[in-house]
Amino acid sequence: MVAPIYIVAIALGIAFSLGFFGKKSTGFATGLFYAALAAISFISVQWFTGFIFNGQSSTEVFTAGLKPPFSISLQMGLPEAIITTMINLAGFMGAVFFADQLKKYGVHLMITYLLLIMGLNVIVMTRDIFNLFVFLEISSIAMAGMALVTQEKKSVQAGFKYLIATAIISALLLVGIILTYNYGESLYINDLLAANLTGIKAGATAIFLILMPVILELKPFPANGWGLDMYQATHPVVGSLLSAASATASIFVLYKLAPLGGDTGMQVIAVLGGLTFVASNLMGLKQSHAGRMLGYSSIAQTGLVMMVIGLQPVLGEHTLFIGFSILLTHFLAKAGLFWLRGILNTDKLKEWGKLRNTPLLLFVFVLFIVALTGFPPFPSFFGKWELVMQLANSGHGWWIAFILLGSLLEAVYLFRWVGYSLKIKSKEQTEQKAHKLIPVYLFAGILLTSVYFYLSHFYPDSMMQYVPLAFVALMFVLEFLPAIIKNIISIGGMAAYSWLLTDQYLGEDNLRFFFALIFLVGGILTMIPGFRQKGKRVGFYPAAVMMYAGLAMLISATDLLQFFIAWEIMTLGSYLLIIRGKRSIKHAFSYMLFSLGGAFAMLAGFGFAQAGNPGIGLDVLANMTYLPHLTAILLAIGFMTKTAALGLHIWLPGAHAEAESDVSPMVSAILLKAGVFGLMLLFIGMGAEAAGGHPLVIALGWLGALSALVGNLAASFQEDAKKLLAYSSIGQLGYILFAFSMMTHLGWLAGLTYVAGHASYKAILFLGIGAVVIRTGTHNMYQMGGLIKKMPLTFIGVLFAIITLAGIPPLAGFAGKWLFYNAVIMKGWYLQGAIVFTAGIIAFLYSFRILYAVFLGQLKDQHRKVKEAPITYLIPMFILMVGIMIFSAQPHLVLKPLGNMISGFFPSNMLDWNGGTALTSLGYWNGFQVAVIIMIMFAILTGWLLLTSRKAKKVGQFNIVYAAERPERPETTHMAYNMFAGYNKAVGFLAAPGITNIWRKIDAFFHDLGDWMRRIYSGNAQSYLIHIVAYTVIVFMIINFGI
Amino acid sequence: MIKKLLLFVLLAGAGVMFWTGISDYEVKQDLNPIASYYADQGLEETGAANLVTAVVVRYRGLDTLGEVVILFLTASILGFFLIKRDGKNDFRESSEILKTASRLLEPIIILAGVYVFVNGHLTPGGGFQGGAILASALILAYLANPNDSISKTLLKITESFSGLSFVIIGVLGIILAGGFLDSTLLPAGSIGNLISAGVIPIIYLFVGLKVGSELAGIVTNLKYAPKNESE
Amino acid sequence: MITLEYITLGTGILLMLMGIWGLFTQKNLIKIVIGFTLVDTGIHILMVSIGHIKNRTAPIIDDAVNASEAADKVVDPIPQAMVLTAIVIGLGITALMLTFVVKMAKDNNSLNVSNFKSLKW
Repeated sequence: MVAPIYIVAIALGIAFSLGFFGKKSTGFATGLFYAALAAISFISVQWFTGFIFNGQSSTEVFTAGLKPPFSISLQMGLPEAIITTMINLAGFMGAVFFADQLKKYGVHLMITYLLLIMGLNVIVMTRDIFNLFVFLEISSIAMAGMALVTQEKKSVQAGFKYLIATAIISALLLVGIILTYNYGESLYINDLLAANLTGIKAGATAIFLILMPVILELKPFPANGWGLDMYQATHPVVGSLLSAASATASIFVLYKLAPLGGDTGMQVIAVLGGLTFVASNLMGLKQSHAGRMLGYSSIAQTGLVMMVIGLQPVLGEHTLFIGFSILLTHFLAKAGLFWLRGILNTDKLKEWGKLRNTPLLLFVFVLFIVALTGFPPFPSFFGKWELVMQLANSGHGWWIAFILLGSLLEAVYLFRWVGYSLKIKSKEQTEQKAHKLIPVYLFAGILLTSVYFYLSHFYPDSMMQYVPLAFVALMFVLEFLPAIIKNIISIGGMAAYSWLLTDQYLGEDNLRFFFALIFLVGGILTMIPGFRQKGKRVGFYPAAVMMYAGLAMLISATDLLQFFIAWEIMTLGSYLLIIRGKRSIKHAFSYMLFSLGGAFAMLAGFGFAQAGNPGIGLDVLANMTYLPHLTAILLAIGFMTKTAALGLHIWLPGAHAEAESDVSPMVSAILLKAGVFGLMLLFIGMGAEAAGGHPLVIALGWLGALSALVGNLAASFQEDAKKLLAYSSIGQLGYILFAFSMMTHLGWLAGLTYVAGHASYKAILFLGIGAVVIRTGTHNMYQMGGLIKKMPLTFIGVLFAIITLAGIPPLAGFAGKWLFYNAVIMKGWYLQGAIVFTAGIIAFLYSFRILYAVFLGQLKDQHRKVKEAPITYLIPMFILMVGIMIFSAQPHLVLKPLGNMISGFFPSNMLDWNGGTALTSLGYWNGFQVAVIIMIMFAILTGWLLLTSRKAKKVGQFNIVYAAERPERPETTHMAYNMFAGYNKAVGFLAAPGITNIWRKIDAFFHDLGDWMRRIYSGNAQSYLIHIVAYTVIVFMIINFGI
Repeated sequence: MIKKLLLFVLLAGAGVMFWTGISDYEVKQDLNPIASYYADQGLEETGAANLVTAVVVRYRGLDTLGEVVILFLTASILGFFLIKRDGKNDFRESSEILKTASRLLEPIIILAGVYVFVNGHLTPGGGFQGGAILASALILAYLANPNDSISKTLLKITESFSGLSFVIIGVLGIILAGGFLDSTLLPAGSIGNLISAGVIPIIYLFVGLKVGSELAGIVTNLKYAPKNESE
Repeated sequence: MITLEYITLGTGILLMLMGIWGLFTQKNLIKIVIGFTLVDTGIHILMVSIGHIKNRTAPIIDDAVNASEAADKVVDPIPQAMVLTAIVIGLGITALMLTFVVKMAKDNNSLNVSNFKSLKW
């Protein structure tokens, strides 16, 4: 082991030697410079690996040959090794990125850079507070100097503000140090820790004046304008050093010194950190400058870690893990993002679409953002998870709310940015210089590698759970293959995995088997249309497979953590799928926000649910002790963002309608069921039958009924065919929610029937209409019409699906409806039932509309040459139709096992089977008989019509009387346009976008608030100084006088 | 006006804060344990009669190295601003009095500076003080003859050489004595002599040279006033 | 009783407050830097005061102070060593600040701190 003191010796020795070189012979000087960085990186990495792999014990290096407190000592333990490794890695890679500038500024820059990194290393390792002050000054000065690399007026000003602000902060620190020396009679941190200075008032003030400057170095809100300006105006490498190296070191200093302040100190640190986290993210909302936005985000993340440090008394032994996980992600992602900013060389967010021209860079960018926003399986997620769990365990609900609010705000601006870069096209190429790409890719690689360690740390034995994740990774690697091969691989993988799940769950856990079937078999069917794609279809397969992997993992999750990981992976995959649509940018964005909001509600719910329980297995849902009602509400909200219950639905229509033709069935027919699965788990946990009278469940019943009504009504008024289908999903999911909320055997059976039904007919409908959209190139129904002749097979499919959907006998929809009506009547929910029945009638309106407007009526001129739907679309449609037919004729084949399964939760069976006949106290029904009767009736009717109307003449498709429309006129005269105008006038207000407006107002409120708050950063150096002093004095007054 | 008033309230608050910090101050009667250790053992351990020097160079040698670094860093950052004027010397000639006086004073000041830093371990003073005096001589020379600049290369080389030597002595401390910057790698010698106290005089020599050349360098560099960007 | 210690401590704090007042109210960049140096000097006085012990002499062992009784005769050498370091650091920072000020003044032809607000929000 090379002693850590050599970090100082080597860096300084080479820095001084560089002075020999003037401006000349910079080649050799550059070599020396890199050698120095490499050497100090080597030393810290060596200690790091020593601690991890060789059981090295921590060591304290004494200078001057004497033990502390008589001399200055440097500590090298595991935390120090990790932090210095991070600093040196960011330093080394930043220097690689910096090669151009190094050439331009020569040794001056090299010296400054090297001393900056050296200074940061020492402040991490030193155990002497005065020594800390000296090297803090070194790194502050060097940082201010680095501002000059961009020789613009702005950056000089930023450097000056930084310099004078850190000078005042250090001055306060110096006062703190000398006072602490006076009362503590030592400068050795270990002595001071033992001295308990906070016992006397002046001692507490002395400690305050040490801790406060350390906090100020972390740029807490609102005394941080100087830091933000620095992020904005300096070279991206300087930004990366500020964010990844300097902040990391300062955080460690705070961690090292925080115990000096005792419990009060911890509290103050936690509050100030939390405030910074939320406020900075709030102000980040309005940023349009990439550098400054990253600055806000960096400050926020630092605030979060600061908060974790302050919460030590609560988090106990978990503090280090949580703090480190969040810090590591922030470190890797922020450095990477700043470097990307340097590669793209633009600060206008909308110009980041340039990334599209380099898919690998785009991947890395999204990776960084995803990791930063706390998505699994990245370290920051595990940190936040553990944080929420521990806070819940100790009853700190408000802290959780605070953290999740801040995280959501951060996701808002970060995902808006992702949207821009994924969607806005740009012809500009990015410069591809190896020395700039290597650091970015290296950090992305480290981030990805860390995933493996985290997963194996949390689940050393059940790595099988993550096979789907590995498959996703494989799909990313295979991106270079043509779409057809990737399609085969995806389908093969899903088939294999569904076989595995069948093997595991069939007969054992039929509920899971049922959903596995919907998720994976549905998945396979919806992948078939993909065969139509030529080329590589970049980005589609990883996203699709990611979504299905999430769904598959949802099935096999055995504890809350696995469930949540699966949930988030599914969300991410579906987001990436949805945003592929041409006009999807804002819909995908709103989908992401609602999903994250829901996920955070779920996360809090999970936290509360496991509080007081010995483990985090899914069974804790059955044994909630801490805030059980709130927990149930939070979880229900979380699941209902996916089922798009009324109020949480506004993301759905756009997201589903604007998605690509073969993506819509995936996200509609299949994805929505994940929320249902979650709700069922929640209800089962709440004790199914016992939960019947729970106010939450009754409320959910109402919500379901209203969703059905409003969804169906809104669907009837759509001009856009896919939007119609999307709104109808809201209605259908409303039925499902209502059915499950009844908490009876029949209710659940009806619910499951609807789940299976919706999965199949909505898939057929979206495939069919998707095919129409492909062929006609429009979503608007009034621009379609008469397609029955051109696309007869599609018509048959859609007709089939519509009959099922509307619950008209003989098809399966009727089975669901029959069960449903029986259930409602037995439950006695007449009022809600009435609403649902009304909704059912309204469903006929849109059912008719889509059939009529698309397929019947007059064919448009421009559609004369339209072809039948692609075969790849027809195949899954017809497979599903066969399925529906089998179910319609022999419903007991499916319903009986489902009923048996439900009996596990609802022993009081209200349904009997007699062969193929279902019996309840209200009546009986036999699917096969009904089908036969309907067929006979149909035959008689047809025969009678044929007999009586022999004189009727056959009307051609272009007969305008029959079509009730005038050809080739503006659409306003088309019957299909504004089709149900009368109804709209009467009850349209119910479908008005009132809820959308509420959400819009909430959105505007936060943006305005953030905009108003950031006015505090007037840009005046003097104001920033006043902020710093005022911040210190006010915090002091609050602590001491409780003002 | 209101703003001023608020600022005054804030200032008063700061005053209260600092005052609270010394509110428990008690007039000391004795040294604290660390200080009395230094007072008792300092001479023996370092051989330096000046205990402040013992603390500065040995016990808190890393701080001293740090402060040397700060000056060096400042000088380096100034380098960013330097944009050479194309050899034009447009400074006004200095007065005859200044020129003559400086010729008279320079050697004396330099001598005083050197005396202060080579005797740093024995009498009040040391590398920084001596270096500052040395720099004042160089600056005086510069003011007297602004157009005959002192050789920048010489200043730079002195600066780097002294700094590097300081670090090397520090590292030798690890190899030959108890640790980084351990000043006892040379024998203490007889106390009170010029050549005594281990490497302390040598370190102070380098510190003095370094501080002198750096301060002089900073001032003379300001002559190359940064050019306006927009010009 | 007001002793020398309290007077010097008070002076140090007063000087710091004066410096802070300068930082708060002066518009001229150079005067702001002077405000900083006042704060710095105030702290230095504070530091030296804290090392002071009544009726004792400088921590140098010579004819007046015997090596064996040094611990009873000299003032605390540590704050003196620290103040030496702090002064040099303050000097470096002040020099750097002034250089920045010169550069800013040349760029914008103004020394008024209110004129440098191109970065905000």
